Amino acid sequence: MAALLRRRKRTELEAYLNSAPDDAPAVKSSPSASVPITSILAVDLGNVHTRAVLIDQVEGVYRLVGRSQTRTTAGFPIGDAYVGVERALLAMSQSTGRMLTREDGQVIIPEQSDRSGVDLFVATASLGRRLRTVMMGLVPDVSVISAQRAAAGTYIDIVETISLDDRRSVQDQMNAVILARPDLIFIAGGTEGGAEAPVLELAQTARLASRLMPRGHRPIILYAGNSELVERMAALFSDQVLLIADNVRPTLDVEALESAQAQLAAAFDSFASAQIVGFERVGALSRIGVQPTAQSVGLIAEYLGRTAGDTLIVDIGGGSSVLAAYVYRHLATSIRTDIGLGQSAASLLRAVGIKGVRAWLPFIASDNEIAAYAYNKTLRPLTIPERQRTLYLEHALLRAGARELLRAARPVWTTDTADDDPNAPMPPFAQIIASGAALTHTGQPGMTAMLILDALQPVGVSRLRADPGGLIAALGAVARVAPEAVVQVLDGASLDDLGTCISVSGTPRDGAPAVRVRMTNADGVIETHTVMGGTLFIIPLPPGLRADVRVRVLQRGLHIGERSRIRTRVMGGEAGIIIDARGRPLPLAATPRGVAAQLPAWYAQATGEAIQRIPEDWLTPKAPAVTEAAPAAGARSGESPEPKRRTLAEAARSKQRREAAPKLAALTADKPERGRKRRGQPQRELIADDDLFPDLNDELPSGKSDKKDDLDDLPTLFP
Amino acid sequence: MTSQPYFPELRLMLPLTVIRRERLLPDDVDGVVEVRANSSVSLRDVVARGTNPAPYVLIDAMKFFRLRDPDQLPPLMQVEIGDTVELNQVIAQKGRRRLLSPIDGRLAYAGAGRIIVQSVPTIIELEAGVNGVVIEVKKGRGVVLETYGALFQGVWGNGKRAIGTLRSEPEGGMAQVTFDAIDIGFRGALLVTRSPLTHETLANASDQQLSGLIAPSMEPDMIDAALAAPYAILLTEGFGSMRMNSTNFRFLDELDGLQATIDAVLPAPLEVRRPELIVKVQLPSVGYRPPHPNIDRPLAVGMTVRLSRGDMAGFVGEVIDLPTAPVLLDNGLRVRCAQVQLNTGEKRVVPLENIEVSG
Repeated sequence: MAALLRRRKRTELEAYLNSAPDDAPAVKSSPSASVPITSILAVDLGNVHTRAVLIDQVEGVYRLVGRSQTRTTAGFPIGDAYVGVERALLAMSQSTGRMLTREDGQVIIPEQSDRSGVDLFVATASLGRRLRTVMMGLVPDVSVISAQRAAAGTYIDIVETISLDDRRSVQDQMNAVILARPDLIFIAGGTEGGAEAPVLELAQTARLASRLMPRGHRPIILYAGNSELVERMAALFSDQVLLIADNVRPTLDVEALESAQAQLAAAFDSFASAQIVGFERVGALSRIGVQPTAQSVGLIAEYLGRTAGDTLIVDIGGGSSVLAAYVYRHLATSIRTDIGLGQSAASLLRAVGIKGVRAWLPFIASDNEIAAYAYNKTLRPLTIPERQRTLYLEHALLRAGARELLRAARPVWTTDTADDDPNAPMPPFAQIIASGAALTHTGQPGMTAMLILDALQPVGVSRLRADPGGLIAALGAVARVAPEAVVQVLDGASLDDLGTCISVSGTPRDGAPAVRVRMTNADGVIETHTVMGGTLFIIPLPPGLRADVRVRVLQRGLHIGERSRIRTRVMGGEAGIIIDARGRPLPLAATPRGVAAQLPAWYAQATGEAIQRIPEDWLTPKAPAVTEAAPAAGARSGESPEPKRRTLAEAARSKQRREAAPKLAALTADKPERGRKRRGQPQRELIADDDLFPDLNDELPSGKSDKKDDLDDLPTLFP
Repeated sequence: MTSQPYFPELRLMLPLTVIRRERLLPDDVDGVVEVRANSSVSLRDVVARGTNPAPYVLIDAMKFFRLRDPDQLPPLMQVEIGDTVELNQVIAQKGRRRLLSPIDGRLAYAGAGRIIVQSVPTIIELEAGVNGVVIEVKKGRGVVLETYGALFQGVWGNGKRAIGTLRSEPEGGMAQVTFDAIDIGFRGALLVTRSPLTHETLANASDQQLSGLIAPSMEPDMIDAALAAPYAILLTEGFGSMRMNSTNFRFLDELDGLQATIDAVLPAPLEVRRPELIVKVQLPSVGYRPPHPNIDRPLAVGMTVRLSRGDMAGFVGEVIDLPTAPVLLDNGLRVRCAQVQLNTGEKRVVPLENIEVSG
């Protein structure tokens, strides 16, 4: 039965892949192309980390057998991306006992009789400079928007857009193109058999501009418009690199992006190979060159969405982030190169603003403290917080960044602008997969699950999974060569199952029974629980186990995916079955003291650890002292000293307090959510307001008023 | 499953080493290298020049001269492609009808009935940034330079370069370096201060005409002022209010009085250079070849490391254990760590990611 199911899924994946044309991306000829594939090595080059995964057949079925990670070496001091690949493969060899490279560092392909080497090597990447791209199309809402959608999975910056609506003279358009210094000009326009002359006019402008650029710096031309003009395009751009893709808008009603996406991937590979030392060597090993990571993530999101229900994949990287959603029978991939928890931490802060980060902090923090944390993270992107206070700062950046990623992505999830409201409730997702070190390397499955829930605030029932090893990106590349391997690896326990979350929407009363849960496990054992409003409640259920769950809401106005009671079968995970009875939208308190009553309790509930209460002095506005060089000094770059972990006895006492926490929280926290609702104000995530921090503004360390609580007024780290 | 090797972050702090630096024009700039292999260069020498794209003016010569055939245009041209032209200079003429250049610039194109004049492009000059020898020329892009000396890398710079004598701040700190001081020895110096930068420090440094400041940290709201400062600023620790740790200060203090250059590179996405200080030191003997930095060592027991984060940031110690299992930190994260015995004798468990080595 399982084999039948796998065959069916494979057929679906192949059908999807076959919808892309065969001509692109060009499959590089490889001496191993005809060898049956039993082992696969996939490498993902990120801005911060280089990850490798090893897939092999175990008893005839593809399984993930190893993964490794090392820092990316494209920058100082190594300056060669391939060295990072070698290191990752060395680590893989050490952990699996399988030789993968020769002494000269070259990957052994194909697999040898002594089991050294692999049959297939593929690579994905998100590092390097983005392609500066000029978009040209006839109509902004038709060909231009389709071209932009096609480019959504590739690391590009759209630096100029020219269409028929453009009122500038030809001279101004030409200068705009030249001064934009494009790496790529993407020309679309004209339906099949439709307009020709205006498309040719645009192409003439592109040609004129290209010819005025130095020969070695002429952009790649990608044409994905009316196919009747292909020959004339070839003649126009005979002296520069021209890529031809299928028309992105063959008719007004049909959009065909796959061919253009494949050519964009080829352009990305070609461009990065010229820019990054070692990149070409990596690409030469791969049959399909180096694919953009985001495009691979999108491919897997679409496959999972089609086979297992609507799927959301969020990858918060160090330099960039990707959100791939398969929803409303449509894939939408969004890349934000200004959102990341490494080099992009400073630009993330600019994107979300100080307020956006402060809203998630359970203590009073000055603008400087928040900015210093983000800037130091940019300067030392790999470092991780060691203290409670800095962990809150890190996770505040993460949550705010992911919320911003989601906010910007949602309008492209559907073509119906009625769904554009980024603050509207999320559509239900059957599964959510998180990737990126900040989200997945907590070492605590419950904490990872909580961060996903806080950042994305899903509704209904969602299976939560984590991809700490960059497997999703790898599988996206593998899918183009060995789709069966993708199906089998995803069927196996290759992703970390965190569990299943049942999210309660509405505004549960803190401390009052919100839902009743009845879980029947595979052995027929029944557990019943009453979950209080305002809490995360976890029922342990190990990975691989299933259980039948019935949930009934106990308060008026609450629902689970628009229903007052549900009955469903859920999958267990390392965190377990999570009943998120905190409500949607998440009723985050509007003051630091209010957040201080919520967040420590949520962390404790999610991880099962003792609650770590916020010290009172963190909630008292004061000027931090300049730290001394002496070892005992605290508060260095935000790593302030804090209470040690509690003893067992203290933990037990805190557990008692935790049980009473909802009531305490209800007493101490502000309740603006319900109050606002009554007053008919919009129900949105509550953001701390300046007016709520009068004391803080009066007592900033510099002694000056800091009412301008926004990074628009803060200096930029990278002007 | 065995533990995987871990390659820690490298931030060089070496008393004498070979230093190789690549100096390249931006990848979208067309340029010319101005120096030859094996030639000596100094800090301010221009090693390559390039031009930024400049706007073009498109002239419809067909219409202007009322031509019927584009081939009629070339004989009318008065200047050659590539020639410099001045505003109102005649660039084409038919009888008494003269076509004047609308701008100062260069004739870029004449054909298909059109003339294109490019305005004067701005020149990008690429400076050597170090005193050294050109060991490789990359045609059209730049050079690789080599020098030797003491090397100290920081974390942030304000984008300026400076040369001067390295001086440690006097007892009492920067406040003692004032106009009233009779000692003018700080003028033009690269001053090392242990205290975080303040607006007062910046003003004081300006008044004293310092060439550069090496400081541990500053608050983020001072970035604009630091960028506007007329001298080079290099931060050793980062943003916030951290003082310089004694290891860094001792290293710099031992170089007091020596000639040094600061390349205070402003961090930027994809910027591979680090802000750094290179100090000219004497070789121990003639012909001595200093060692290259060791950039390819996995973390191991016995290795000397520096902590880059936490309340002990900047402290140096020795790795005494590398447990394979992740360790639960005070804040609830569970990550791979090393046990480090600091120079103070204290033992700390430190996440691997928060460890740097000095080369």
